[in-house]
Amino acid sequence: MNGSQKVNASDIEKLVKAGQAGDRKSFDELVRLYQQRTMQVAVKMLGNADEAAEAVQAGFVKAYMSIGKLKEPKRFEVWLLRIVTNTAISQRRAAKRRAERIKIADCYEDNKAVSPVDKSVTEELKEAITTAMLKLSKKEAKAIALFGLKDLSQGQVARIMGCSVEAVRWHVFRARQKLKALLKEHL
Amino acid sequence: MACVSRKAEVEGIAKRASIMKEGKEKIDLLFERNAEEQLTGVDWNELNAAISSRLDQAQKSKTSVRKYPTVFKIAAGIAAAAVVFITVTVKTEKPADVQLDKGISAVVKFIDKKGSASIEIKRPSGKSQVMVDIGSSQRKVARCDVEIIDLNGGLRKGSDEAAWIIISRPEPVLADNGVSRYNADLIYLF
Repeated sequence: MNGSQKVNASDIEKLVKAGQAGDRKSFDELVRLYQQRTMQVAVKMLGNADEAAEAVQAGFVKAYMSIGKLKEPKRFEVWLLRIVTNTAISQRRAAKRRAERIKIADCYEDNKAVSPVDKSVTEELKEAITTAMLKLSKKEAKAIALFGLKDLSQGQVARIMGCSVEAVRWHVFRARQKLKALLKEHL
Repeated sequence: MACVSRKAEVEGIAKRASIMKEGKEKIDLLFERNAEEQLTGVDWNELNAAISSRLDQAQKSKTSVRKYPTVFKIAAGIAAAAVVFITVTVKTEKPADVQLDKGISAVVKFIDKKGSASIEIKRPSGKSQVMVDIGSSQRKVARCDVEIIDLNGGLRKGSDEAAWIIISRPEPVLADNGVSRYNADLIYLF
């Protein structure tokens, strides 16, 4: 499933409440449901899967440690995405300094048919996006990563970022302008 | 002619809008493409296992904190009690109150906390200022001159040998019975 399947909101709420009561299995289920979604956001923010996986892991640990503080279980997703985006933001600066990276995702399977040319182009794009994202402000990076996410309304993005919808739109606009300039060779 | 011009203008605007839109879409598509490609190779089971492992570690630390709250409470209690005890001890270890009644002399021994009497001494002999509580009934502080009397042939530098000092009132007090000033002074031993 890996988060791709639709889950009833009340089921999520039940899982969150159980997780708050200390039920580890319920939290594991939440991890399974949201790992893909959180990875989507983290990859957009960080540009590569390895860094994103690290941010997601750290984000879930933070969420686990503080799930008791979540007052509205029905807003788990917004709360979780806020944690993960904040973690990714913290990680952006440390990304280059990190000596040991957890190799969760080798982006390309060995047996996958990718030509060396295609692979180098993809790697180049990955590096270019990673570098470009580092040049955005925190809010711009969050906004551009969250804005295009499926099933996430602009209002929810605003709640995650703790600002108004108009502000989100402005940050997205600014981020796009900057990225267009920074990535013009790839457009 | 005007109609053609208007049409060209509209087309230009539409074209610019289209380019802008295209630019935005290209950026978004570029991001989408990169994200999709990055996520394609992710082993979700492996990621799940890694998260689970991290959660196990977190759970252990969480549990250990929960497991020993009593120990922490007891330790905190002992620490608080120790602080209270030390505070009380320090406060009660004042030099003994003395009455500076006229014509009365007294010998007072400082217990441990010499500093609590705020005595400043210039060794090996000399005069200094001292603040002393001059009695529980009066509860006022007198500024006195301190004179060290070297009874043991002089204190060795840095030693803690006992020495006598005389604390006299700023204004010499002559006893009614005519005793000398020194009889009315207070002698401290420390």
